Amino acid sequence: MNKTITYQIPIGPIHPALKEPVMFEFEIEGEKIKDVDVHLGQVHRGIEWAGMRRNSIQILYLAERICGICSYSHPAAFTLAVERIAGIEVPERAEYLRVIQAELERICSHILWAGVAAHEIGFDSVLFLTWQIREKALDLTEYLTGNRVTKAIMMIGGVRRDITEDMLPTIRKSLDFLKENFEKLRKVFLDDKTVQMRTKNCGILTKEDALKLCAVGPTTRASGVKKDARLDQPYFAYNELDFDYVTPDVLTGEVNGDVYDRIIVRLLEVKQSIDLIEQCLDRMPSGEILAEPKIQKLLIQLKKAEGEAIGIIEAPRGEDIHFVKLVGEEHPHSWKVRAPTYNNILPWIPMLKGEQIADIPIVAASTDPCMSCTNRVAIVKNGHRDILLAEDLHRLSVEKTRRLMK
Amino acid sequence: MAKGLPKAFKKSLWVYHINSGSCNGCDIEIIAALCPRYDAERFGIKLVGSPRHADVLLITGPVTRQMVDKVKRAYEQMPDPKAVIVVGNCGNTGDVFYESYNLVGPIDNIIPVDVHVIGCAPRPENIIYGVIKAWTKLETLEAKK
Amino acid sequence: MKRLSPEEIVDQFKEKFGDNIKDSSIKTYHIGPKKIELPDLWITVDRSVFKETVRYLITLEKYPHLAVISGYDAGDTINLIYHFFIYFGEKRREQSINIVVPLPKSNPVVDTISDIIPGALISEQEKQEMLGVKIKDIPKDSRVFISEDFPEDKYPWRKDEKGVDDIARNLHEVEKDE
Repeated sequence: MNKTITYQIPIGPIHPALKEPVMFEFEIEGEKIKDVDVHLGQVHRGIEWAGMRRNSIQILYLAERICGICSYSHPAAFTLAVERIAGIEVPERAEYLRVIQAELERICSHILWAGVAAHEIGFDSVLFLTWQIREKALDLTEYLTGNRVTKAIMMIGGVRRDITEDMLPTIRKSLDFLKENFEKLRKVFLDDKTVQMRTKNCGILTKEDALKLCAVGPTTRASGVKKDARLDQPYFAYNELDFDYVTPDVLTGEVNGDVYDRIIVRLLEVKQSIDLIEQCLDRMPSGEILAEPKIQKLLIQLKKAEGEAIGIIEAPRGEDIHFVKLVGEEHPHSWKVRAPTYNNILPWIPMLKGEQIADIPIVAASTDPCMSCTNRVAIVKNGHRDILLAEDLHRLSVEKTRRLMK
Repeated sequence: MAKGLPKAFKKSLWVYHINSGSCNGCDIEIIAALCPRYDAERFGIKLVGSPRHADVLLITGPVTRQMVDKVKRAYEQMPDPKAVIVVGNCGNTGDVFYESYNLVGPIDNIIPVDVHVIGCAPRPENIIYGVIKAWTKLETLEAKK
Repeated sequence: MKRLSPEEIVDQFKEKFGDNIKDSSIKTYHIGPKKIELPDLWITVDRSVFKETVRYLITLEKYPHLAVISGYDAGDTINLIYHFFIYFGEKRREQSINIVVPLPKSNPVVDTISDIIPGALISEQEKQEMLGVKIKDIPKDSRVFISEDFPEDKYPWRKDEKGVDDIARNLHEVEKDE
């Protein structure tokens, strides 16, 4: 008898994370994934609609709450679009301060991701190690902005807090700590044999697929596509800084587009970000940090502005685009937010096809969608439904790691 | 609440976490609370992967239309006695998402809530304090019997 | 492949599609401390030739990057805006091309482009449920962000009677006991 039965496995959506939480429906044959279907929208809050009835400055704080991890990138992209419409010129110092904040967020986000990835393959000790390092980066964030998660530092026409001379030693000390520990992380993730076994040749996204499916950020760069909004269409002070595209061939000389390559890209970007912050600290001129410190005046100026523009930012997960249309009213006429994961959902399908069930967590997590908390799996078998828990899925993943270690 | 608190309840709380549409800010702070800096696990507080194993439900977010049913079901699956903690402003009041066509919250409209942890996002210390409050509440309930 | 300047791209479009190019503009942004110029290209095309313009874009760049499709309710029409990027991969070479496609409200139908650019699928699905446009021949015609029990014929981004103002609720409102 050679009859194969395919099962359908829905995964999700309780515990979805990010703006785009997901529910997967897998069709599997034995251990192999045949087909994948993705359902979105469990966390659709109607933010864009709500934004169309608030003024531009209120939207900054709404945009901040689109995603807690990219809580700087969203207001930044919105600000960029509004500044372009209203023709607001940002003081030079503020442009550098904005880069520092953006790169700090990238460090926090990538280290967070490294921990989640380690958790997915069953290395909880590495999760704790990375999150301990991340706390240091969060301390620095808190020192510069006053808060750990939602920072409220962005303002149309500049930033809200300056970095004074007496703050520099603390910042440099934190950066040195991060640099020292970066080496530790690099060793754990890139040299460890087990990590390599679980991540090499797993969840491959070819360059062609990445281009066709319009993937963004580290996901597409790991497949060898040179796409980085910081370089392609520079904003803030990025044009004055020295850095280049990070693709895995920088380190290994080849591009496979697998999970391992995505780890390389993210780790190298952490280093790049530390370097960028240092460059900014060195080159930052003195001067104003806000184009218009009086908010009432700024609001009146924005009320008169008319036009449409896009703001593009390279958020930790990829390019983040906001389209804004102002029509000379208090509220924007329309506002469209495109978070990076939005474009990284379709690439999951070629990545997951042909992989094993135990690889779902690490492959899904490798695009950094915060699918860390994949929760509930139901196996439908002849109309009879067995509930498999997220724990079991995680267990399968951990078991596979243990098996490989033997 | 069921008769008496089981022994395990006094010593270690197992927590199940649902994101009902939050921005993820509270969720990363919850994980941060469990990691070495704050280390809630030293008190035996542990995040579990199933509501059936949990004593406490940590819930974040303003509850989207799609999640109402799932939140209710997770709550029903938890064994008694149980406590519900809402983490973050948007789950408590709606906060910045006060007006929407796709939100059903705040959470106390949907399931009974014992502790409200406010802040956007609340600090890990705050979250741990919330869990302790839930603990105290359950102990008081037991003492009244 | 030779990199065309934004002016050349506009000229080529006009040459190829004639009157079907309704409008075009090049906005220049000044970015960074040195105020470098960054051109941003906006083209309004008639929906009858829209798919052809996308096919033409492919001759400029094999895989143009479709960032997203945005759109808004402009009174009599619904304007969809396709944000494309071409020439990426080298510093400051990228060119954005924003193609605006106005659709009359009486018959808001446009051809799908997900057969040419598979990455457009989610964006197209989203426009169907948010703006109530109809994407012809879309490979997957289901809702993405809005739940299945959401009322039919209600579209969040519409500013007319099909908008959602009447079904939105305020979470801060507390029902008073009478």
